[in-house]
Amino acid sequence: MSGPEQNVEPAELAPAAKADLDRAFEDFYRAHLRDVYSYAYYRVGNHHDAEDLTEQAFLQAYRHFDRARRESDGRPLRPWVIRIAHNLASNYYRDRSRRPQTPLESTEPIAARHDTEAIAEGREELRQVMAHLEHLPEDRRDALIMRFALGMDNREIARALGRTDGATKVLIHRAIKQLQEEMSDERAA
Amino acid sequence: MSEPRETLSGSTWDVEQLLGDALRPIEPPERLSGRFEDTMAAVTQAAAEELSDWADELSESELRALRDPRNWVRPVVAVGAGGVATGALVLLELRRRGRNRSESGLRSLTGGLRSRL
Repeated sequence: MSGPEQNVEPAELAPAAKADLDRAFEDFYRAHLRDVYSYAYYRVGNHHDAEDLTEQAFLQAYRHFDRARRESDGRPLRPWVIRIAHNLASNYYRDRSRRPQTPLESTEPIAARHDTEAIAEGREELRQVMAHLEHLPEDRRDALIMRFALGMDNREIARALGRTDGATKVLIHRAIKQLQEEMSDERAA
Repeated sequence: MSEPRETLSGSTWDVEQLLGDALRPIEPPERLSGRFEDTMAAVTQAAAEELSDWADELSESELRALRDPRNWVRPVVAVGAGGVATGALVLLELRRRGRNRSESGLRSLTGGLRSRL
């Protein structure tokens, strides 16, 4: 009864099928945890909320993983899980009507302080680019995070944002141009 | 490395280089994996329990029968027949009322004529 368009909850699967699904999901989780976490961190600006967001994204992915695998036709699932995180991050701001509580570079360090934070302290340009990035429109900021933090190509970003390849290319170009102009203006001032 | 470079339109930043340096991938804390496994185990356990509680109330054959679309025809027909019967009753009642009203109208008309004569 489960056609390709239907979603079967993992708990409803037969034990053998569920074991297979769980194994595949474990691999998927390991392969994409860093990407989802990086994306979440750069979106929300602190580790605490990034952990929550990452957990929620993977829980949601698990519920629909079986269907996503069937419908992916062998295409990578990274844009799909990043899209889930992207939607959750958008809701996060909408529900709480807030922007990141703290700028990225002053985020409280966790056990292992990340290189980026250390570098940002010593380098004014990095601080500046992060500050300007934070104030970009959401879609432009997202596209840049996906490109530079996650190393996604235009096609993957397009799938994650639900846009065409062409529109994504333009989006990234404009985002970079806006950053360039704003930073040049700041320097001139 | 990321100093502004001069262009025809004035100085500009090598923003792509800066973004590449600033937006490094972030290693998730180790506790996140453990936390996620706990949450997932709790969620799947709860889902499985809920499903088994529900399934306990129905036998396997009943569940199969519920899932079979062929068995959805009878309830749909019953609801349809009920609707038609209700509609017919309403129509009959409306007709009866209409007949009463026209009879009483005729009666008052003949009464009026008699009084004039």
